[in-house]
Amino acid sequence: MALFRRLTNLFRQPAIDRDIADELQSHIDLRIESNLASGMSPEQARRDALLRFGNPTSTRERVAAFDASLALAGLWRDVRYAARQLRKSPGFTLTVIATLAIGIGVNVAIFSSMDAVVLRPLAVPALDHVMVLAQEQQRGKQPVTLADYTDIQRQNRSFEDLAVLQGADYTLSGAGDAAQINADLVSSSFFRVLGTQAFLGRVFDQSECQPGRNAVAVLNYGFWKRHFGANSRIIGQKIQLDQHEYTIIGVLPRTMQYPPAVDMLLPFAPTPAQLSNRSDHTYLVIGRVRNGVSLKSAQSEMQIISERLAKSYPATNQGWTVHVEPLLSEINGDLTPLYYKLIMGASMFVLLVVCANVANLQLARGVARRSEIAMRTALGATRTRIIRQLLTENILLALVGASLGIALAAIYLHLTLVFMPARVARYIPGWDNISVNGRALTFSVLLAVFSGIVAGLAPSVEALRLRLVDQLRAGSRQATGRSRLRSIFAVAQISLAVALVIGAALMAKGMSSMFHQADIYSPEKILTLHPDLPAKRYDTPEKQAEWYRAALDRLRSLPGASRVELATALPYTDSGWQLDLSIENRPTTPGKLQTVVRLAITPGYLDAFHIPILDGRNFTQSDSIHSLPVAIVSRRFADLYFGGANPIGHRIRLGDSKSHDPWLTIVGISQEANYSLWENDLPPAVYTSFAQQPLAGSTIAVLSNGDPMALASSARKALASIDAGVPIDPVQTYRNLIRDNLVGLMYAASMLALDAFIALLLSAIGIFAVMANLVGERTREIGVRLAMGASKQDVLRIIIRRASWLTGTGLVIGLALAFALARLVANLLRGVRPDDPVTFAAVALIIVLVALAASWFPARQASRVDPMQALRSE
Amino acid sequence: MAKNDLQGTLDLLVLKTLDQNGALHGYGIVLHIQSASNDLLRVEEGSLYPALHRMEQSGWISAEWSLTETNRRAKYYKLTPQGRRQLEAAQESFDQLVRGVRAVLRYA
Repeated sequence: MALFRRLTNLFRQPAIDRDIADELQSHIDLRIESNLASGMSPEQARRDALLRFGNPTSTRERVAAFDASLALAGLWRDVRYAARQLRKSPGFTLTVIATLAIGIGVNVAIFSSMDAVVLRPLAVPALDHVMVLAQEQQRGKQPVTLADYTDIQRQNRSFEDLAVLQGADYTLSGAGDAAQINADLVSSSFFRVLGTQAFLGRVFDQSECQPGRNAVAVLNYGFWKRHFGANSRIIGQKIQLDQHEYTIIGVLPRTMQYPPAVDMLLPFAPTPAQLSNRSDHTYLVIGRVRNGVSLKSAQSEMQIISERLAKSYPATNQGWTVHVEPLLSEINGDLTPLYYKLIMGASMFVLLVVCANVANLQLARGVARRSEIAMRTALGATRTRIIRQLLTENILLALVGASLGIALAAIYLHLTLVFMPARVARYIPGWDNISVNGRALTFSVLLAVFSGIVAGLAPSVEALRLRLVDQLRAGSRQATGRSRLRSIFAVAQISLAVALVIGAALMAKGMSSMFHQADIYSPEKILTLHPDLPAKRYDTPEKQAEWYRAALDRLRSLPGASRVELATALPYTDSGWQLDLSIENRPTTPGKLQTVVRLAITPGYLDAFHIPILDGRNFTQSDSIHSLPVAIVSRRFADLYFGGANPIGHRIRLGDSKSHDPWLTIVGISQEANYSLWENDLPPAVYTSFAQQPLAGSTIAVLSNGDPMALASSARKALASIDAGVPIDPVQTYRNLIRDNLVGLMYAASMLALDAFIALLLSAIGIFAVMANLVGERTREIGVRLAMGASKQDVLRIIIRRASWLTGTGLVIGLALAFALARLVANLLRGVRPDDPVTFAAVALIIVLVALAASWFPARQASRVDPMQALRSE
Repeated sequence: MAKNDLQGTLDLLVLKTLDQNGALHGYGIVLHIQSASNDLLRVEEGSLYPALHRMEQSGWISAEWSLTETNRRAKYYKLTPQGRRQLEAAQESFDQLVRGVRAVLRYA
């Protein structure tokens, strides 16, 4: 009721103002009347009434504050006043708005992309309730078996619902081009667990998850758009998956790109044999916990169920437990949130630098405003009133800056979306959802208010210190407190800039060293193709080997291709998947794992990639499916598993104890090569002959004499002439392949570099402003010095000494900060050392040069002071 | 004593004055407080008005323009039922405060 009254009062402001004025006046009149009655003179009566009443203007404002809703009208007045003040100094206003726009824009952009990618990559209601279940034993986590899944589903009380997913590849034909697609077979509960509905059409239900009734498909949005051109009449159409007919019944919403690279979802219709299997760890299980059930209690219930299963089925379940993890952290992994935190932190640093800069400008402007503030104080404005006015002004500036910043952020986000390769974007859930949304807007308003307050605080403190009488006396000299405060801001800016620039430099250095790791292979001259043989048609090693043989032959006959080799992974492009290893006649020690990286290669590969054979022999053309299976091991393998003894002639087998892989006879030892982009330590490697055992997921490297991309179309044609149904994308240079793997890191590094650049620029402006102000304040003193015989060099030296002191202090603090930041970056990247003296020294030198350059102009100005002029102006 | 307590006391004085005298204008309230307290309490006259308007917005008192005995226009305030309840509550808490302070002074 009261609030309503106040709100309506807001619209009758003039009437209310008049009413209040009338009431106060009537009070004074009544007092005058009784004063007259008690015998005072009219003059005396009036004076006494006014003295007793106090300041009528300020009383009127205070009264009005209670009549309008939360003093909104007063606020509006403040805003209008602030706007008028700001219009009076357009140069200042524009500078401040631009600075704030940059600071807030950077933060909004980062926040928006972090919000979409890390915080809510999927539009799933109560995403924090969705968990991933995995079975875990000593060797690590594995997917779940179907029989265990059924038992967990039946026994648990923690989950509302559980769903099972199984990956599968199909060749799609029928509507649209033929393509190799990733599908996931999912139980109908999948949609309930994720709380999602179809964007078009419908999703499937339990009755369709049975053999014979399961010929329906739900498309993911991205695939629907990519492959079917977002055609909304696709619902009800038939497609062929591996020559079986399926009906498209629905499309999922854009924000439901899960699992990340899956093109369509098909009903999971398990056979009885699958349902009773307790050793086939291939099923991904997700579940939605009931309201009020914590991760911890779900985990402890799973513990009980695992123990029960281990007791009932010791042969298969002994030593296995069930691990519960939030889906969000499973999607994000470890690195992405860390990168985002790093950039977000850096951007907040930049915002602080921006605030310091704005505060500095405000302080400079404060000189001109002192008499205005003094006047208002004299007229009865309270300190709170003045501070409110100053804060209003700053928040107003920040809000205008924020709206500009949002525009900048939108442009920036658009650019990042455009430049992200689609091949990589597919694997980042949420990437397509990046936009400046409501949450980002809220965030920007919060930032604006925050920076308005931070930037307005210093001028407010100044205003509080103002001594009224001093100020009203004309021509008073500067207070010293102001320049100390400004110096502190300048030092803070320099130190933040030092930290950011060093952090960015280290990151750029690390990234560039990662990017150039493969330079010894001349990656710009190598074309890579990624054939993916449809498993259903190429179902025997013979058929696969035949395709590869034909493919290599045709590519080798292309003009311009100097060599063509094949490997399951090229150096620095592997995910680092490790396999178990058994060595013949050597029992494995329980608890001690023997793992290796396995690479299947062609005989010419080691030579083409400059990996020398140290001992024994290389693969030859005569190693074939029909000859003795052989292997070449890396030197590290020999050191680790044979203790330096010669492993040649020994036999090894890859895969776990139940593996059906053949025993491989070691015939050679090779030099180390690094296959992982991210890891520093080289795992032991085993090379096998591709001709003896073709593996899925290989890379063909075409070494060219000139531009490899010129070979791309003839290479495509050559392969299509063998079998047009084999996808070979992406076709790109080896260098670009590495770059795509680094794109997330490049994104982070470029953001950090941008942050660092802005901070450096702002701190240069900051130190320039401080020095210019200093020179302005000391003009008279400088004039006296010059008049007394000081040389221009002396004056120059005074000013530069001051600037050096500020820079030096900022540098020392900044280096300490940078060291902490560097340790963080070093944890993220290989090739980065937190104690990198060259980078630290180089950046320190740059900062010193920038700071000295920024103070050079004011210093020169000081040395040109005309003593006569300076002394006369006083 | 903290500022809030003084303000609360001013509210109490105003409410009690209106309770005893029916409708009064601001100047009348000042005079009454001064005389009823035997000149011990003097309200700074200007500071009364923010308090009056705050209480009016809270619905404790209502106001209307009327004529004084000397035929001047003045705004008269009177207690609302809600204001009467507030008065009782304020009186109760003030009594407690006084008892509390006394008790401390006695043993201090």
